Amino acid sequence: MASSPRTGRTSPALFALVIGAVLILGVIAMVGLGFDPVRVGQGVISSFFPPQAVTDRGEHIRQLYDIVFGIAVVIFFVVEGLIIWTVLRYRRKPGDDELPPQTHGNAIAEVVWTVVPTLIVAVLFVASWLTLNTVEATSAQPQIKVRAVAAQFLWSFEYLPNDYDPVTNKDAKPLLQITEPEGPDGGLTLPVGRTIHLYLQSPDVIHAFYVPQFLFKRDVVPGRTNSFEFTLKDEDAGGTFHGQCAELCGEGHNKMHFDVHAMAGADFDTWLQQKIAAANASPSPPPPQPSGGSTPPGQSGPPAGAPLSLTAKDIAFDKTALTAPAGAPFQIQFDNQDASIPHNVAIHQGSPTGAEVFKGEVFPGPAQKTYDVPPLQAGAYAFVCSVHPNMNGTLTVQ
Amino acid sequence: MATTALHPAARTYRSTLYEWVTTTDHKKIGVMYLINSFIFFFIGGLLALGVRSELAQPGLQFVTDQVYNELFTMHATFMIFLFIIPILAGFGNFIVPLHIGAPDVAFPRINALSLWLLPMAGLLLVLSFFTGQAPAAGWTSYSPLAQDRPLGAVGPGQDLWIVAVVLVGTSSILGAVNFLVTIFKMRAPGMTLFRMPIMVWTVLVTSVLGLLATPVLTSALIMLFIDRNYGGAFFDPKNGGDSILYQNVFWFYSHPAVYIMVLPAMGIISEVLPVFSRKPLFGYKAFVFATAAIGALGFSVWAHHMFTTGAVYLPFFSLMTFLIAVPTGVKMFNWIFTMWRGKLRLSTPLLFALGFLSMFLIGGINGAFSAAVPVDFALHDTYWVVAHLHYVLFGGSVFGVMAGLYYWFPKMTGRMLSEGLGKIQFVLMFIGFNLTFFPMHQLGLAGMPRRIADYSSTAGWNDLNLLATIGGFTIAASMIPLLWNIFVSLRSGKPAGDDPWEANTLEWATTSPPPPYNFDHLPEIRSERPLFDLRHGHAAPAATAVVPQSASTSH
Amino acid sequence: MASDSHAMTSQDHSPVAGLAHDERGGISNVVLGMLLFITSEVMFFAGLFAAYFNVRANAPQWPPINAETGAPYHLEILPLVGPATVLLILSSFTCQFAVWAIRRGDRTAFLRNIGVTFAIGVTFLIMQGIDYTILYGEGITLSSGTFGTTYFTLTGFHGAHVFGGAIMLGVVLYRGLAGQFSARHHDAVEAVSLYWHFVDVVWILLFSLLYLLPGKSPAGV
Repeated sequence: MASSPRTGRTSPALFALVIGAVLILGVIAMVGLGFDPVRVGQGVISSFFPPQAVTDRGEHIRQLYDIVFGIAVVIFFVVEGLIIWTVLRYRRKPGDDELPPQTHGNAIAEVVWTVVPTLIVAVLFVASWLTLNTVEATSAQPQIKVRAVAAQFLWSFEYLPNDYDPVTNKDAKPLLQITEPEGPDGGLTLPVGRTIHLYLQSPDVIHAFYVPQFLFKRDVVPGRTNSFEFTLKDEDAGGTFHGQCAELCGEGHNKMHFDVHAMAGADFDTWLQQKIAAANASPSPPPPQPSGGSTPPGQSGPPAGAPLSLTAKDIAFDKTALTAPAGAPFQIQFDNQDASIPHNVAIHQGSPTGAEVFKGEVFPGPAQKTYDVPPLQAGAYAFVCSVHPNMNGTLTVQ
Repeated sequence: MATTALHPAARTYRSTLYEWVTTTDHKKIGVMYLINSFIFFFIGGLLALGVRSELAQPGLQFVTDQVYNELFTMHATFMIFLFIIPILAGFGNFIVPLHIGAPDVAFPRINALSLWLLPMAGLLLVLSFFTGQAPAAGWTSYSPLAQDRPLGAVGPGQDLWIVAVVLVGTSSILGAVNFLVTIFKMRAPGMTLFRMPIMVWTVLVTSVLGLLATPVLTSALIMLFIDRNYGGAFFDPKNGGDSILYQNVFWFYSHPAVYIMVLPAMGIISEVLPVFSRKPLFGYKAFVFATAAIGALGFSVWAHHMFTTGAVYLPFFSLMTFLIAVPTGVKMFNWIFTMWRGKLRLSTPLLFALGFLSMFLIGGINGAFSAAVPVDFALHDTYWVVAHLHYVLFGGSVFGVMAGLYYWFPKMTGRMLSEGLGKIQFVLMFIGFNLTFFPMHQLGLAGMPRRIADYSSTAGWNDLNLLATIGGFTIAASMIPLLWNIFVSLRSGKPAGDDPWEANTLEWATTSPPPPYNFDHLPEIRSERPLFDLRHGHAAPAATAVVPQSASTSH
Repeated sequence: MASDSHAMTSQDHSPVAGLAHDERGGISNVVLGMLLFITSEVMFFAGLFAAYFNVRANAPQWPPINAETGAPYHLEILPLVGPATVLLILSSFTCQFAVWAIRRGDRTAFLRNIGVTFAIGVTFLIMQGIDYTILYGEGITLSSGTFGTTYFTLTGFHGAHVFGGAIMLGVVLYRGLAGQFSARHHDAVEAVSLYWHFVDVVWILLFSLLYLLPGKSPAGV
């Protein structure tokens, strides 16, 4: 009984052997495959840090991260080292049946390891509180007010007039609306060096505005307007930063990407004026009855017959089947009645997952658009909303 | 070797199966808790393999976005509600009456009800896969995503989920009442509160948490159910409700639930470490107070899951979250100094306990990052959080469960598990675990959000994801030696005897497995280690007790 | 409480009864179990009450405007709330009289009082049903916005607890008629009476909240 057979005294040695072998093999494999261990090492180290911050607030968060990380690394190595050393040092030697000293505790040691961690977390708390106040600070008169609207499953961005206020003047008309969330012409274009106040709104479920290079995210909560403020750093002019929804919002969650473009101040002013002028010149998204479909170039000619009408409401089309004439262009009058929720009509070959033959412009409701559809060959097609693939029906061309 | 067993009642005509299904014996119920939990552990594990397979490469290879959302939702639901919480309750069920020298729990029939609610709940969850749309709103089921509306949680799947979780909650509440009455009222003479094994203390604190927090979850889920099915207006802003309210009520339960999920595992470790170090637990009372402090602070940190909602008072919850690191640190040092100057036997239970120590340490440290609110702004809902929660719940709780399994399997079955297979399992699981979850820290820092089925091949996340997938399958492989070990041991394992580990607590003073009502006679209880006292002459055996012969030969 | 009797018998008949049992006295297992269960019920109602206060605090005015009538919701139409409240409070007294009676060993008084308590419980449920019918007649239902949802959820779950309590009282009454309780042996009576007092206290809170707490006028009016 006393000499327990389950000493397993080979295992620490086995352990050290396994770990050592893995390490050595790893380095050999790295060199053998043509990697430079030093560069790989640097890469590994930088992978323990968040990306370089592109905003002033992100910079503060990064500094705080560095502090927390430094303390964490020290604690990790001290405690983990203590565990490993204790295990190696005090493992039972074969045949040693003597009872070790039965220490029940030590008041001084216990006070020390209560007080020291308390002091450490106190320091961490104060550091993070100070940073928090900086990060959360807002100015009375931000230079740019922008709204990001997150709807299932598309971001859109609105440039707001300076007198906008989420409480007293929440219906102020946006100067400009960008409905394309990504790409050189889409996304959120912002000037460097100016204070930007970003308001967040959702018409449906909870989303989160997250740009890794901001080191920041904030939830977009239906029923309330969240906001935060930041300034892009001057040296980031010309950069594009990728962002993504970070709160599970349904089937299309992983497709909710967006771009943030940083521009020099003067370039931004020009860009904004041009965009506003262009939006005012062309028939704008709001009603009544514009004809701003995105027809592929070269497809013109008078549409034949009466336009087909289609309505989207409560994330559903009002019709499940449409019929169109073969070999002639036709029009679809599309009425999106879902407030702030983007829809469009796209036509796919055969089934909703088939090849896309036409894609109408995506726009948030309530608004209407008339799409000019190029001639299609006779056959079976499907019409779908590109944003919500569950919204679909059949289109028979005959 | 003499036996302390009572002569079991004469065998009846009833079959073994009938006996087990109708039993109110806490030990059989405890074992059935474990079996039930392991079944759902394997189901949840398969779902996790589905998640990892899909993420191994960019692009959608195996499942659609919708199915992916169902996979991780159900993975978390099974692992949390039908594996971790019940399996720890199962260990509690088996061990608490033995630890305090009681013949059974206070309400044996209610105990059986607690058990049988669990497979019912699990069945409902499995059924939800056949309703057309399994729950896919995450295990948190945030409203409005979990509302019955287009692009939300359409159909009965989410309702089945709600009912199942309420059943699990009811089981927890009844279990908590049972544990508390048992611990307060049924301790053997001499077993004062401060002589109870730490395992019992952790079950006590866990039960208090479960008793106070679980009903709040029940109320949240019932309100969600009313919203979904009867046009209620609690959580849906469209009807004047408040989606943040759901998060507050949900996390008021679910943060204490994190401690429900880890405290009993800490209790297991606190039993294993002293036995295999041949020393008492260092700082017993400090450990008890630290456990109580974690329980108390656990109720004031729920909103640290909501730092990015813009709707909570950040400094308060940040401070409370930081503070919880203090009692946790105290425990860590108590464990290490239990081993300090001991004589460590590196058997499988101790290896898993050491796995717990070293991994839970990481889970504690990377949690402190999120207590620093601005850092949490960067890390929240990224893979960093996935890494953190798995270092706590897998690196902590699952390693603790494995330690407990290897430690008490001889007591439960009367047979030893193989040390060799156990060590193979440990090495595979340890390596697989770190391969899977350590790279997730880096993925989170690089900006990969959690709960996405697909990512861009240019984001730079490919290699780390592949590594994590390889790790995931390594963990799965580590289950093979475990199952083989159990199978072989049940058929032809070495008989364990009453006390194979030279342990300290009362369960080792009876036969393996113990007879109905557990004890014929109890040794005198004068400390938290009555068997140690008996073995080393600090305590006299009770006058009429039949003392195991082995006890007097051990020194 | 089926388990009550079982817990007793498992100790009484177990071959090791007494051996592993603390003889320090104190409250019985059943009563302690019931107290703990009530604690969890308190937390359940705390969740519902928190939701009520949250909804109320977020609303611009309370009671809110009924979209169909254009006027605020009102509950003064309910004729039976007052009598029902008085009855329920009385039943707490009769329940306690029953407990005191059985402690003295006075089975007749015990049975009379527990019977009255049971009858009041059933009456309360009937009155609540009538009030619900009136509200439904006015078109106020569970789906009538935040007001209807919170009102029916809170009172409905209280009603469900009254129903549960009435069943427990019924069981106690039945067992009492069968002569199962005595001055020494009546843990189930003690436990059920605790539960009934709890149900009563919840109603007093609910009544104060729903009917007595002044409403809130719209901001700036």
